[in-house]
Amino acid sequence: MTIRWTRIAPQIALTPALAVTAVAFIGSILWTIYLSFTRSRRVPDYAIDWTEWTRQYDRLFQDAGWSTALWNLITLGLGSALAIVFGFVLAAMIDREKRGEAFFRTVFLYPLAVSLIVTGVAWRWILNPTMGLEATLHRWGWTGVDFNWLAQGDTAMYAIILASIWQSSGFYMALMIAGLKSINTEIWSAARLDGVSLWRLYIEIIIPMMKFTFLTCAILLSLGVIKAYDIVLAMTNGGPGQSTWVPAYFVINALSQKQNLGYASAAAVMMLGITLLVFLPLVLLTAWQNRRRAAA
Amino acid sequence: MTDLSVTEAAAGATVVRRHPRVRRRRGLNGRSIAVLVFLTMCALFFCVPLYVVLTTSLKTMEEIRQGQIFALPETWTLEAWSFAWNEACSGITCEGLKVGFWNSVRILVPSLILSISLAMVTGYALALWEVKWAGTFLFLLFLCAFVPLQIIMFPLIAITRTMGVYGTIMGVAVVHSVMAMPVLTLIFRNFYKDIPREIMNAAIMDSGSFWKIFAHIILPMSGNILIVVLILQITNVWNDYLVGVTFGGFNTQPMTVNLANMVTVSTGTATYNVDMAAALLTAIPPLVIYFLVGKFFVAGITAGAIKG
Repeated sequence: MTIRWTRIAPQIALTPALAVTAVAFIGSILWTIYLSFTRSRRVPDYAIDWTEWTRQYDRLFQDAGWSTALWNLITLGLGSALAIVFGFVLAAMIDREKRGEAFFRTVFLYPLAVSLIVTGVAWRWILNPTMGLEATLHRWGWTGVDFNWLAQGDTAMYAIILASIWQSSGFYMALMIAGLKSINTEIWSAARLDGVSLWRLYIEIIIPMMKFTFLTCAILLSLGVIKAYDIVLAMTNGGPGQSTWVPAYFVINALSQKQNLGYASAAAVMMLGITLLVFLPLVLLTAWQNRRRAAA
Repeated sequence: MTDLSVTEAAAGATVVRRHPRVRRRRGLNGRSIAVLVFLTMCALFFCVPLYVVLTTSLKTMEEIRQGQIFALPETWTLEAWSFAWNEACSGITCEGLKVGFWNSVRILVPSLILSISLAMVTGYALALWEVKWAGTFLFLLFLCAFVPLQIIMFPLIAITRTMGVYGTIMGVAVVHSVMAMPVLTLIFRNFYKDIPREIMNAAIMDSGSFWKIFAHIILPMSGNILIVVLILQITNVWNDYLVGVTFGGFNTQPMTVNLANMVTVSTGTATYNVDMAAALLTAIPPLVIYFLVGKFFVAGITAGAIKG
């Protein structure tokens, strides 16, 4: 009796988590996919018109707002990738120098503890044209500088990228430091004996050795960029016009402003598709890493 | 700022003391100086927004209009802080940020209890007991950990509405727990799977049942991972905006939503000192946690990111 009970108890303990996964994740994803084929507007309408079941997607691909959102996603991804580079430079310096390691780590990481809404509010204030950084620089005599990025559609995205880099560099630095620490210390002394210059050591040996860490960072960055909503809302609220729309913003906008459920669902499904596209390498990477760990 | 740097210097000193080898070996050569100068400049770049926000919040509006963003306040005043906390308008209510603060606290407590207890038990069952399809379930959790909220947003709204918790504190807390469940479960599972088989076998032989072993053996061992997860979850929930704005109703919205409304929907002239004070008030709780127990914070975000 006791033996049987110990068999059943773990299964029972798993039921709540299973239920949450089945309903809140899998069920809800299928629900959204279904809705994306319907004509639902404010309230769900479960009838599918089979003659034009892809109408939401057809409209989506012709929507200028959606293509802006996709372009901005790529811009934001490429721009924020600087945070990985920056994070690596900081990590390499901290790791070589060691002096003040705890201090620098703490300073570079604190933005991560702060809400993106706060980050956005702070940077929007700094970029304020009449009272912020630009006014001060003009007063100092640098009248040529233009930091009024948020007011112009073609530069507003750069402001968001700047804030994202400020916010996330420390995170990549932390991952990179962990990666650097796992590198065998003998490599450093061997390189010194061979008289390899520091540049070549990093570019030809250290960075290739850390390709796994870099890949992890790149995937995490992409997944983060797809979810980017708070920072856009706090800095530009999508504007000026639609110039800083991103897919995450597009979906919320379609859902709450346009009150168009079917349309929002179609955009959300596209978001899921992009997530999976980024996610696939992560799965392969994890499998590869596990195999390597098992072999070691 | 000085307080922070002092604590940090102290923390640095302890680290240095722990590795005397490293400290002794190297002198201060030209390259070291260049690196330290560069790192200090980067540190300044990271500190500038905090400095600007802090000084702006302590200035009067007349002074802010002079447009000297880097200057220290001429007259130091906490007026903006008390206004932001007590009176500032967010939407149509003008009761300040304290409403949002207490909402956030009231969201935080049930969501922590729900998500952590659920993830702990699930992680324990998956790591230490023979469960059918455990591998598949783990893989599913791994996938779910990365699902953006937008994709399941409407169904979750519909479900919470049927449950009658949509627009309430409890609704926000439940959605937070659901969203956090996959990552937290994976973190607990990765922690528990390193518990030696012998301990588990001995415990089972000792006629320990699933729950007895959990209460007497597993729970006492979980101190460290609990702190890590607790900090991860506190900062996640506190800093969240999207769940709060979607699932919170009128007067049940968390502090971040309150702040965003206060800053964007301001009637009349913008009061930047109040905005900055409000931003700092929202940022203070996670920052305090970060500067007090930064080590656990870093452990949490890296665990959540890599293993999640």
